[in-house]
Amino acid sequence: MLRRTLLKTSALAAVASIAMLGTAFAENPVLKIGFVGVTSGPAAAWGTSNQRSMETRAAWINETGGYDIGGTMYDIEIVSFDDQKDPKRAIAGMEQMAQEGIHYVVGPNVDDGAAAVRPVAEQNGIMYFPYAFPKELYTAPASNAVLGMVANYQSGPAIYKYLMENNGVKKVAFIAGNESDPLSQRDSGSAAAKALGLEVVSDSVTYQMDTTDFTPVLLPVIQSAPDLLVLSGVSPANAPQLIRSARELGYTGLISTETAQDAAVLQEGAGELANGFISVGGASTPELASDMMREFVERYTAMFGEYNDESNTKVYALEYILATIAANPAAMTDVEAFKATMDTFEAPNPYMVGDAKLKYVGTTSFGQKRQVSVPLVVNVFNNGAFETMFVAQVD
Amino acid sequence: MEQILANGLYLGAQYALIALGLTLIFSLMNVLNFAHGQMYVFGGFVTYTVVAQWGLPFIVGLVSSAVILAVMGALIEKFLFRPVIRKSKRDESTMLLAAGIAFFLDAVILLLFGEKQRGVPKIVDGVFNWDMRLIMPYDRILIGVLAIALIVGFIALMQYTKAGRAMRALAQDRMAAQLMGVDVDRYSMIGFALGALLAGLVGGLLVTITGINLGMGGPTSIKAFMMIMIGGAGVISGAIAGGFILGMMESIGLTVLAVYGDITYLAIFASLMVFLAFRPQGLMGKPWG
Amino acid sequence: MNKNLVGIAAFLLAVFVLVPVAIAATGRWDLYYTLTSVALLAIGSAGVWLTFYIGRINIGQGAYALMGGYVSAVLMTKAGFSFWATLPLAGLFCAGISVLIGLPILRLRGVYFAMITLVLTEVTRLAALALPVTNGAKGITSIPLPGSLSVFGITLIPDFATMANPKLGFYLLAAALMVLSYVVLWRIVNSRPGHLCRSLQQNEELAASIGVNTAYLRVLTYAISSFFGGLAGAVFVAISQSIYPSSFAVADSVNFMLYCFVGGLGYVTGPMLGTFVLYFGWDLLSIAKQYQLLVYSSLMIAMMLVLPNGLLSLFDRKGGKK
Repeated sequence: MLRRTLLKTSALAAVASIAMLGTAFAENPVLKIGFVGVTSGPAAAWGTSNQRSMETRAAWINETGGYDIGGTMYDIEIVSFDDQKDPKRAIAGMEQMAQEGIHYVVGPNVDDGAAAVRPVAEQNGIMYFPYAFPKELYTAPASNAVLGMVANYQSGPAIYKYLMENNGVKKVAFIAGNESDPLSQRDSGSAAAKALGLEVVSDSVTYQMDTTDFTPVLLPVIQSAPDLLVLSGVSPANAPQLIRSARELGYTGLISTETAQDAAVLQEGAGELANGFISVGGASTPELASDMMREFVERYTAMFGEYNDESNTKVYALEYILATIAANPAAMTDVEAFKATMDTFEAPNPYMVGDAKLKYVGTTSFGQKRQVSVPLVVNVFNNGAFETMFVAQVD
Repeated sequence: MEQILANGLYLGAQYALIALGLTLIFSLMNVLNFAHGQMYVFGGFVTYTVVAQWGLPFIVGLVSSAVILAVMGALIEKFLFRPVIRKSKRDESTMLLAAGIAFFLDAVILLLFGEKQRGVPKIVDGVFNWDMRLIMPYDRILIGVLAIALIVGFIALMQYTKAGRAMRALAQDRMAAQLMGVDVDRYSMIGFALGALLAGLVGGLLVTITGINLGMGGPTSIKAFMMIMIGGAGVISGAIAGGFILGMMESIGLTVLAVYGDITYLAIFASLMVFLAFRPQGLMGKPWG
Repeated sequence: MNKNLVGIAAFLLAVFVLVPVAIAATGRWDLYYTLTSVALLAIGSAGVWLTFYIGRINIGQGAYALMGGYVSAVLMTKAGFSFWATLPLAGLFCAGISVLIGLPILRLRGVYFAMITLVLTEVTRLAALALPVTNGAKGITSIPLPGSLSVFGITLIPDFATMANPKLGFYLLAAALMVLSYVVLWRIVNSRPGHLCRSLQQNEELAASIGVNTAYLRVLTYAISSFFGGLAGAVFVAISQSIYPSSFAVADSVNFMLYCFVGGLGYVTGPMLGTFVLYFGWDLLSIAKQYQLLVYSSLMIAMMLVLPNGLLSLFDRKGGKK
């Protein structure tokens, strides 16, 4: 736009975006990216870490002059919608995104919401990046959803296999919350374990999401004497309590989950009882995090007071959207161009050291490239921090 | 078997304490306090802030939870429930108010304390282990004993103090109590404050074991509703019985029905519905409460 | 009476002509879904309002919406029914179930009835998770859009999949159903059974003593109420083309009840207005960002303090009848 005033305004914008929470203010054209997810109520933690990591990244980009797409610098604006974990609201959120002319949306966070927004997204030409695992969202004929993380049916087998080979695990037990997402994850996890030749000693025990005492829930599971206890789709709120109850009941085997957890929450909720707990994380363990990841964590903390380790896996979706559009500027308003680019897109992964790449994967699981390639980093919790156990790739 | 009973007792004690506050408020004002669970969560976060963030002793946290919640309860009664009850044509209208307060507290909790799960470090270490037949961590035993002590204290308060007698009179017959010279407004406020205080205390006690997060409010309210339904709404002994019965049902149900997994709670809830269909006033309630 | 007719005509004109015209003119296409939701939720709250009318606090409408949704989804995907056939069947199924459940539980009153219906919502969700026919936790997805509806070879409603704008289609469908439901509601209230219902609300024993068949009236009313719930659920399934056990939860049941309170329990159109205000209010307040819930709940509490008998009580004349 007006090049002469660019210098003046970008200085102003820098000041403004430090002062205010990332309000787009500059003369740069604005690219809007949507977020539809849950930021209030019981599951607020999921969406909040998501929304905040997007806003942190957007403010960062805007502060440093914008994102270069086809030679033009764009400011990024995040348009958020709180769906209250209600699939009916999620549809309204997607409609609102369509109304704002947004073509790229991150979310929803849960299975039912992701399934419910599909008709709206397809009718309005919106690509969306849910954090939900049902395969039918990503396999043809569906084509507008891109899985924003590693699915449990991908990470689970990798973890079980590793533990079979390295820790001699033979018997595995599953426990899940009585809700769609955890139950589906338990079923696929149990199937994967059986396929690997593990003996599944218990996979029928469930708990209500509002359980305050897990001892009675875990008692029959522990009595089945597994070597590995899998907390399927466990929410960050329940994980420390489950670990604590299991340990207090005298369980000495391994405990793992395929969802991302927060180290501070584990430390507060279970303390040293959580040592050895295996979970899936992003790329922020000290050995893997690049300078950019460290700066991201710093900026997030400065903006919102406290970091959330779940955000490690949630920083990627926005990065993928922007990088893919940059690779093919036509994709900014045309999702078909975006889909075409997805097949060949490749860029360096700025959040990890080494030569990791950003690219779309998922051919094995979905028959088409409808998943972001996030490093599958398996962590072990130890005295308040995560340590890398092993890193794998999903194809 | 011993383990199942011990689990049930522990669960029952904490449930009964939650239900007590709810049933007290209900018996005095005929208000079903949807915000009870949120008050419990608020109490938990207060204790968390005092103990984990400021590093003060646990007992200070517990007392601050109790005091803050009691003040909050008194204010809510005086400025919200009292005028609405006076003006509305139908009793049920207070349900909307209670739900509004529940949403409001949810929002305040999210803004003040954040969306994360919080917990206070264990106050006592170690696990009681009787020959693998009965395993119970010491902190759980301590909290269970404290909960039972609080229940006993509460009953004593209701039985032997002037305020307790006044509140029982109010619960039996508001009009008659007023005619007998009981200051209805004052004791409604005290009762509400006491109910909120109990919610805050449970929150403070349980934050050491189960931790706290802002999502626990709504489900806690619903569980407390179920307990007072089992025992009979508005009856103190009923709430205690309801709490222990639900605790036992969960403990036994989860063990016996473990192989069928997904249906444990379905069975518990469905049997509760059947029970209420046959005995609408619960175990000890007044019919048509 | 004439004044009423003018009002109704104006309302119909607004719903079926002015809204589509206004949306086409302003390009706010997203409003269609919001208004569709309002219409459907208003149908559900009409049912809740009806149970209030016989003096019962119903916090179980979410259960029937979920059941209706599943009936429609299962019939469409497993038995190949047309959406249009499943719509009344969903309602009838819910009505049937509600008779079975209602016979014992309608003897309960006050908070006991309220609580048992609340538990019913949770039971329904858990049953949907456990039953094989519902496909459990994985839900039912990829449900087809409503096909065409023709009677004697004349196409009354075109296939939604071929429509240029299915949003408009769904809006008109939901609005038409809503208008129908409220006509039914109005007829019930102003009929002899309606007057009898009001007598139940005031004093059930007295009504029974003068020969009113209270048990029959209660079950009938509850069945109609649940029919509305099932209807609303079935249409929602058609829009989202998917259903999960969590599609209608306790929060929905509570909301249905709140919509009635906000509009006013003494007015037939109360639930419609309440739904509109609360649902739209939440959407409008999204400008408040992280303070959205805070502002929303504060307004709700403030409204309660000023108008504890519902928004429509604003139009009551002093000393006017209820």
